[in-house]
Amino acid sequence: MSRIVVTGIGIISAIGHSAESNRLSLQKGFCGVTSIELFPTRYAALLPFGEIKLSNETLKDQLKVTNKSVTRTSLLAQHAFEQAIKDSALSNAEIISHDTAFINGNTVGGMCLTDELYQDANRKSTNSPFVTSYDLGSVTLYLQELYGIRGICNTINTACSSSANAIMYGARLIKQGKAKRAIVGGVDSLAKFTINGFNALHILSAEKCKPFDQNRSGLNLGEAAAFLILEREEDSTDKKIYASLSGYANTNDAYHASSLSDTGEGPYEAMAEALRVANLQASDISFINAHGTGTENNDLVESIAMKRLFQSIPPFASSKSNTGHTLGAAGAIEAVYSILSIQHQELYPSLHFQTPIDETGFTPLQSFQKNPVKHVMSNSFGFAGNCSSLIFSAI
Amino acid sequence: MFYIHQSSCITAQQAFIDPATAAITESVENKLFALDTNYDSIPPNVLRRLGKAVKMGIATGHALISKHPVDGIVIGTANGGLEDCIKFLNQIIEFDEGRLTPTNFVQSTTNAIAGQLSIMSSNKGYNITHVHRGLAFENALIDIEMLLQENPANTYLIGGVDEISEYNYTIEDLAGAYKKELISNTALLQSTTDGSIAGEGAAMFLVNNNKEGACAAVTGIKTLHDSDPENLREQLSAFLQEYLPKNETVDLLLSGKNGDVRLNKYYDLCASVLPPNTPVAYYKHLTGEFFTASAIALWLGCRVLETDLFNNLLAIPSASTAKNILLYNTSKGNQHSFILISKV
Repeated sequence: MSRIVVTGIGIISAIGHSAESNRLSLQKGFCGVTSIELFPTRYAALLPFGEIKLSNETLKDQLKVTNKSVTRTSLLAQHAFEQAIKDSALSNAEIISHDTAFINGNTVGGMCLTDELYQDANRKSTNSPFVTSYDLGSVTLYLQELYGIRGICNTINTACSSSANAIMYGARLIKQGKAKRAIVGGVDSLAKFTINGFNALHILSAEKCKPFDQNRSGLNLGEAAAFLILEREEDSTDKKIYASLSGYANTNDAYHASSLSDTGEGPYEAMAEALRVANLQASDISFINAHGTGTENNDLVESIAMKRLFQSIPPFASSKSNTGHTLGAAGAIEAVYSILSIQHQELYPSLHFQTPIDETGFTPLQSFQKNPVKHVMSNSFGFAGNCSSLIFSAI
Repeated sequence: MFYIHQSSCITAQQAFIDPATAAITESVENKLFALDTNYDSIPPNVLRRLGKAVKMGIATGHALISKHPVDGIVIGTANGGLEDCIKFLNQIIEFDEGRLTPTNFVQSTTNAIAGQLSIMSSNKGYNITHVHRGLAFENALIDIEMLLQENPANTYLIGGVDEISEYNYTIEDLAGAYKKELISNTALLQSTTDGSIAGEGAAMFLVNNNKEGACAAVTGIKTLHDSDPENLREQLSAFLQEYLPKNETVDLLLSGKNGDVRLNKYYDLCASVLPPNTPVAYYKHLTGEFFTASAIALWLGCRVLETDLFNNLLAIPSASTAKNILLYNTSKGNQHSFILISKV
């Protein structure tokens, strides 16, 4: 079986609007979690967010979008999508070919327009341009229509692991011969819906999040989009190849709607199964891009699951300390960061860490390092127990 | 190709449970609400907190997996628990982002049904929710097709669920999805105006590669994003060429026609690709329109392959014995699906 390889990447997050600018921010340990400037919420002065400092108007100008019904989520997705197809030099004929799939992970859709949605859903508006833009499928369908994509199109919501599953689904489509190439990833933008939802669960931190710290106080929400181009290695001989997607897994923790089990069954099984698919031992992993949200529950459980699986813990970090938790986009942007680590043979530090968690005593990587990097594991765990793990490998 | 074994279904129609005796439930104000009973498989303390989509999804899904353990859960839902979503949304606006309770938020995430099913059955296997609007259930089928290639000995639960909520009814109505005039569902298919009537429901299936005891084989699935009828014709011909065995015919077209005059051209075209005498049956006048209605069509298709008890209800000529059934559905004319099922 030919390997599935990554031939293009595109990304926008609070720490950069391209792969290169994201890489520079990661190298410098730049934190994009700041006071909010653009998004209107009463929590603007109270909580920090991983906001992308580009207004919708600027994004529309840059992307030459005039359509009124396009939401911020779709604009961020389009930004990353266009970078990815350009980076992989996909021709228009390839994009519209029946064997090009497009798989998008998303949890918020057009619900970033919470106030407009309130008006429309309660019949307080007339002629709203957004009535077909709220659902999760709307983002995928906007890009499908814009580019005339004719292969399999799908939208996946497994909460915070959505885009990890989109990547996995695309790879499986290629392996099964249902697609020759797949554009895979995900997006989410800041929304009052998620801000208030996570706030009601008391897991938003008033400070910059401190993944894996004993005194961590919760997560910061962020927004981002990232897409990868996946192809068979044998179809990519004349292309730049970043890395192979060697392992993936999807499991469920089967414990609670919004928290993980004490022993981390779902996370453990996801990591172990991804290793089995990649045909690797735990000791082969060079680096873990952890889920590491900074919540009490996740970081302890993820550490416990890592301890169960790894005899000796490889270097690990959480880039959510740079970007905030970008929900449906998290799996995709962290896939890009894993790929950058492999491409440049370097590891990026976790930020704001001071004290190890008592129960496990693990310390995430705290400085930028040039290191041999062969296999990177990227974890994404979500509400409803949805756990996923991806492994990217050097070619 | 894979096989369907046990299945369960909730719609507006008692007649889907008692096809010989029950009368057809009529729509009220252009809505066909699903029967709100048959929740025996859900513990009362859980049931109380659930919205309708989650209730229907758990009732149909848990009824199957509580008796037959599965290796994974694959759900298609365009919108999941939207009633909870709008409740939470209204709180956000009306209390100006004040103190809110998280229950509605947690329940409103579209992956809540698959998650609840995994918790109730302690199922740690593959778990996913496909939410691709009018092709959410079809993408779940494609996922199952792949899963059963990858893990040939496994059994999975697959289902489609969507609810009528105040929220999606209003939004879809503003988008022109429903008829402006009041109409009885019994007259829906003869309608000459824009829009359909709203529906909701859930259908779940246990699927694997085991032919023995199966009620149907799913022999082909194809999804399409295109609004050009000519491309649809071409794709359907290619689909039948690929999946319909030589010397066999489509014995029944189970059409998703929904009374929206704007979409008739697609349904008519689909029928025209088949031989002229191919019987056509309809179901959306019984279920109403929703994004995962094709899950109900699959459930009905299985029944038709098994028994002639549904022939009356679906106006299928009693002499016809179907071996191959083609399910065709379009959502808004830009998402289409063909599903071919066959007698085992």
